[in-house]
Amino acid sequence: MLIREDILTPKERMMALLTGKPLDRIICMPIVTTNTAQLIGKTVKEFQLDGKVMADAHIAGFKKFGYDLIYLFTNCSCIAEAMGAELVYSENEPAGCDVPVINSREDLSKIKVAEKNDGQLPVYYDALEILNKEVGDQVFIAVCFSGPVSTAATLRGVEAFAKDTYADPELCHTLLRMATDSCKNFIREIVSYGAMPIILEPIASGSIFSPKMFDKIAFPYIKELVDLAHELKALIPLHICGKTHKIIDKMTDTGADVISIDQCDLAIAREKVAGRALILGNIDPANELLFGPVEDIHKVCIEAIDTMKGYTPAFVLATGCETSNKVPMEHIQAMLDVARSHGLYEYTAEETK
Amino acid sequence: MDKETLFREISHALVEFEVEKVAELAQETLRQNISAYETITEGLVTGMKEVGRLYEEEEYFLPEVLMCSDAFNAGLDVVNPHLDKDSLEKPIKMVIGVVEGDTHDIGKNLVRILSGASGFEVYDLGRDVPLDRFIEKAEEVGSDMICMSTLMTTTMDGMKIVINRLKERNLRDKYKVLIGGGPISQTFCDKIGADLYANDASSAVRKAKELMGRA
Ligand code: B12
Repeated sequence: MLIREDILTPKERMMALLTGKPLDRIICMPIVTTNTAQLIGKTVKEFQLDGKVMADAHIAGFKKFGYDLIYLFTNCSCIAEAMGAELVYSENEPAGCDVPVINSREDLSKIKVAEKNDGQLPVYYDALEILNKEVGDQVFIAVCFSGPVSTAATLRGVEAFAKDTYADPELCHTLLRMATDSCKNFIREIVSYGAMPIILEPIASGSIFSPKMFDKIAFPYIKELVDLAHELKALIPLHICGKTHKIIDKMTDTGADVISIDQCDLAIAREKVAGRALILGNIDPANELLFGPVEDIHKVCIEAIDTMKGYTPAFVLATGCETSNKVPMEHIQAMLDVARSHGLYEYTAEETK
Repeated sequence: MDKETLFREISHALVEFEVEKVAELAQETLRQNISAYETITEGLVTGMKEVGRLYEEEEYFLPEVLMCSDAFNAGLDVVNPHLDKDSLEKPIKMVIGVVEGDTHDIGKNLVRILSGASGFEVYDLGRDVPLDRFIEKAEEVGSDMICMSTLMTTTMDGMKIVINRLKERNLRDKYKVLIGGGPISQTFCDKIGADLYANDASSAVRKAKELMGRA
């Protein structure tokens, strides 16, 4: 495999895309997050609770791979935590919420709309400040957080929340309202650091709710977040893991600028998103990327690029979800190698001038 | 209303998750001296089978299955006290849980619900279950099956460890081992020597019954 060194920096490449100028290669951003902690010998826990560790880890990851986006993410429950949920932190697993805070309507007094400095949200601001200073001239930075449905379901417990959609829609929508407002406060803050907010909705996945229910509990609230980002002149991706083939058109209808997918056939995505947004995906981080061998990773990445060839505004070669701690670093490198060989575009340096 | 119509109405109300209506209809069966056993098998279980089918066909999802399960339980609560326990087959016992390191439990819970509604006696160990716990619990309750779920590739190997420990303790033949969850496949099942794999809750129940000769 013949690998060409990058001509543009990740930031120049992204700017070229946004302004309709030519690119030197396909945009590539494996979702590398907490697993960067191992590059600097830190634990997942330290990464989640200390902005300096988070920033240093990400700088190490970026220097190693030179991918096109720095993707800050800790766990699926950070907004819920900022609203009043208690999380369990362990050394090398992402924190999670074991016991829901909301067991009845009375418990609503135990939570509130998160303000910018609640829970562990400031860890992100500390990291953003350092990252902006150290690598902000070379690469864009994003912060990914759970959206309204995943946050509300974490506060209430997924199954109780699922039943509420029929049995107590009012409680369901009260929680969604509060979660949405909390996300909005966080988005404002992320954007003020010049970073891109990414909405993550694993619990709104088509593996769990019907498309009809997506319309009721997910769509209006997600759209509100998208609208806010646009008011703030920021781009906003929407990531939903699990199955999405039946909701991908609805995901696009929210107006999100990037549709980020996991278990959804790229050909279906291409047809349904139909040029209305960038498509980002969907190399399975728990299959080829985890087990290898490198040749198989090359193969699936090449297939993805070929399926999406000619798609406008653009296809971004990425993983379907975050790469876990156990994904070997050489496997992440294999993805970037494909971007720097099979994913090359014809490009002469003069074109930028 | 004759018996057959009543059973049909029960199934129908259950599928539409009309909890109160299912309970009322169950009361009606008692008034008509219909045996609780028949109401359960012909009305309630038939309804849940339909729910399983709708889930398999992606008509129903998690909320709908949970609501139907509530309706099922409402009916069961009414007739259960009148159930002639001798009329029952000895139920198949299963111990189920999500393996250590993984907290994804939605799929496991769906398997528990549909198995329970098909007459299995289910012992749920919850999620992030220490591996030895599966064997301990199975021994304690005299289970027929050990069922393990995981959605993470990073925790799949736990299933193999449980099987190996069963072998070490000469208990392997005592239990049927069932596995499932996102990254699990028939190939993995064969590789680690488990007895059965199913890719959704509804077929899991069907296959488990076949395996136990109760199809
Ligand atoms: C919803 C979800 C969550 C929810 C879980 C809520 C809950 N209480 O379960 C939340 C948001 C909390 C969550 C958290 C995390 N998640 Co998550 N999550 C998902 C998602 C989107 C859907 C899973 C789901 O519920 N599906 C619906 C159910 C009904 O389907 P199912 O589980 O497959 O079950 C069916 C069958 O498999 C079968 N079955 C299941 N069990 C059994 C057992 C037996 C015996 C049998 C016969 C059959 C059977 O029957 C079921 C019903 O039909 C998946 C995406 C995906 N691709 O699956 C990711 C996914 C599982 N998550 C993932 C990750 C990485 C995480 C986190 C680590 C993220 C983080 N950094 O915090 C944490 C996990 C922490 C931990 N250690 O456990 C990865 C796992 C990757 C890997 N390493 O393998 C996935 C695959 C996403 C991805 N593509 O990367 N997640």
